Amino acid sequence: MRYVVGYTANARGHDAVHLAVALTRNHDASLDLVLVIPEDSPFNAVYPPEAGYNDILNEQAQRWLDEGLALVPADVTARAHIRRGDSEAQTLIDAAVEMDAAALVIGASNAGLLKRFTIGSVASSLLHSSPVPVALAPHGYQRTDPITRLSCGFGTRAGADELLDVAVESARDRGLPLRLVSLLALDGGNSPGLADAAWVHAADRLAAVGSSTEASGADVPEPEIVVAQGRTIEEAVDRLDWEDGEILLIGSSRLAQHRATFLGSTANRILRALPVPMIVVPRDYTRHSA
Amino acid sequence: MSTAPKTVQSKETSSLSEKGLKAGSVGLIGAVVIGVSCIAPAYTLTAALGPTVSEVGVHLPAIFLVGFIPMLLVALGYRELNNAMPDAGTSFTWATRAFGPWIGWMGGWGLIAATIIVLSNLAAVAVDFFYLMLAQIFSNPSLGELSKILPLNIATTLVFIALACWISYRGMETTKGVQYVLVAFQLLVLGWFAVSAFAHVANGTAFDATAISPDWFNPFAVDSFSSFAAGVSLSIFIYWGWDVTLTMNEETKNPEKTPGRAATITVLVIVIIYMTIALATLSFAGVGETGLGAGNPENQSSIFAVLAGPVMGPFAILMSLAILSSSAASLQSTFVSPARTMLAMGHYRAISPKFGKISPTYKSPSFATIAAAIAAAAFYVITRTVSENALWDTITALGMMICFYYGITALACVWFFRAEAFRGARAFFFKFLAPLLGGVILLVMFVKTAMDSMDPEYGSGSSVGGIGLVFVLGMGVILLGVVVMLVMYRLRPEFFKGKVL
Repeated sequence: MRYVVGYTANARGHDAVHLAVALTRNHDASLDLVLVIPEDSPFNAVYPPEAGYNDILNEQAQRWLDEGLALVPADVTARAHIRRGDSEAQTLIDAAVEMDAAALVIGASNAGLLKRFTIGSVASSLLHSSPVPVALAPHGYQRTDPITRLSCGFGTRAGADELLDVAVESARDRGLPLRLVSLLALDGGNSPGLADAAWVHAADRLAAVGSSTEASGADVPEPEIVVAQGRTIEEAVDRLDWEDGEILLIGSSRLAQHRATFLGSTANRILRALPVPMIVVPRDYTRHSA
Repeated sequence: MSTAPKTVQSKETSSLSEKGLKAGSVGLIGAVVIGVSCIAPAYTLTAALGPTVSEVGVHLPAIFLVGFIPMLLVALGYRELNNAMPDAGTSFTWATRAFGPWIGWMGGWGLIAATIIVLSNLAAVAVDFFYLMLAQIFSNPSLGELSKILPLNIATTLVFIALACWISYRGMETTKGVQYVLVAFQLLVLGWFAVSAFAHVANGTAFDATAISPDWFNPFAVDSFSSFAAGVSLSIFIYWGWDVTLTMNEETKNPEKTPGRAATITVLVIVIIYMTIALATLSFAGVGETGLGAGNPENQSSIFAVLAGPVMGPFAILMSLAILSSSAASLQSTFVSPARTMLAMGHYRAISPKFGKISPTYKSPSFATIAAAIAAAAFYVITRTVSENALWDTITALGMMICFYYGITALACVWFFRAEAFRGARAFFFKFLAPLLGGVILLVMFVKTAMDSMDPEYGSGSSVGGIGLVFVLGMGVILLGVVVMLVMYRLRPEFFKGKVL
């Protein structure tokens, strides 16, 4: 299994490498660091015509990638690639598809001052079009130890069951505890009735998925279901306890094309408050087993 | 698992040319569009037509034709060098390889200075037409006068420079479609201008209807060699950018034929449009020094700003749009070249390695792009404060600067290929004769213009300490280069000892 890391030689790129390393830890996976450099357009009318700029740029890119590879511990296999393309997001997607990557790992942003996640333009395009899951490292993500718990954002909308399938299988493959997280934004504060309904719904779906995927490993603890409430989604996210080594799996919006990601408005708000990495799973995504 | 940290150059890059351009992506029309857009005819005409008329009067068409010859000769040498040593430093690298680090350094300085000067001029022209367009949109001529208020003019120009710098830093690219539209629009509006001007002449409504005479095409009728030299320096500027078509190779669909054909068609298009506009302007406005006359010092900085209204009537706004859009696009793309040359010079340790920094996010020269913006802004502020007619003087100084570094580059070609120059007719012509003639012509023009421009009456008539401003601007920039070079020699002697290149 391969993870493609969208690498840039700044804090954002380093966050991505750290997360990718963490993801490989309880998995037989290798990393591919991809650095995208822009393709010159002859229609850009650069004058005077020159060529060697790209040699210098390539040289620089190699050095940047060497720095990136130096962040990867010795027990993880990593390769580095330089790709050229007009659009950084599209080039990363092409690389991920071509390498048959299990996920595309990127850093959120290095610009956000208060929010943990501020999405850059590249991350934003990826989250709205990638055919492979996109893992987003929050700003300043340093951890390279294994992931300790998998959370799965769970709702009542179409596609929730498919996401649950992916979550249950991933947790089983990795031997991780699974937590189903249902987030409720309620203007009038707490509402026990709604929370109970959400809990029951989640438990029902979980039971259905559990029976269809059968062999849930005996060593994996039973999934936990939590319902978090707040006046806003952000507040609900804040009220939950998150482990340092946790990662949140979230589905694409119904607006997504078949087999593509599309970060919905709720996911977007979760993203803004989330202290841990998250993985956005494309719509109708089926995992290929490791 | 074992670590095998190795940078793998992935497969896709093989479909790219050496230059990082997609191979086979440009057809004949595309190449012509690129050539025309590099020349930016609407902008160059508005900036250079007036100053040229003030030097050579009605012989403008002759000078425009003659000016192309040294340009062509040098461009042929340029192409040979580009094929033999493709490098981001262009003139800097080639002159260093041919003549050693000192002359190479000055060649690079000349290129950077020329592009910095053109940046400040482009921004200023864009600002003039920006206010003119506001005036046309709101039918309120007083808005157009805003550009004459010095502090406001300087402030707006600095904003334009900063914006272009930001866009260039971000690496935003002009797409093929945008470029086609911009070029087509420019040519269309220039054509419209010419037709309207001739219509006024025919209807007897022209400002100073002047009959076209064959004498206009006779370069030997120009009254003095001084005027001739000044005119040729200026016309080098109007063709500046044309050679881009010659240096295109792998990115064209047919590398054997496309570049040559594109260069020929581009030059035909450009010469036709220049001739038509030159004739139209002269027949409509004459060369008188009053009113709308093309020789009026008031009209030198931007001829179309003055003439478009009387000639095109309400459609003059199209001219403002064409010039504004073409100079804005050029402003952004022109930023790339001084930035990349500085980057190359920083990379080769000829200047501070800071200039070699590349932005990790945008993969563009970061330090060098900002340095270019600051230099262009400073140049503009200084010229504008000292000169009554800054644009006119910057264009004349620019002509000089282009002659200087093109001349050096052409001679570098002759010297670099001296061993192969006599191996057959082709090599003799392209690697020896053409660049030698071109280089000598340009350097002669440079020296002559430099000497003449010491006269305080030269150009707009601005002077500093009794010496013409054009001389101060042109030679001042070159001398500044010498000083910076000596400082660099003290700081980083490795480059100057020939250890890097």
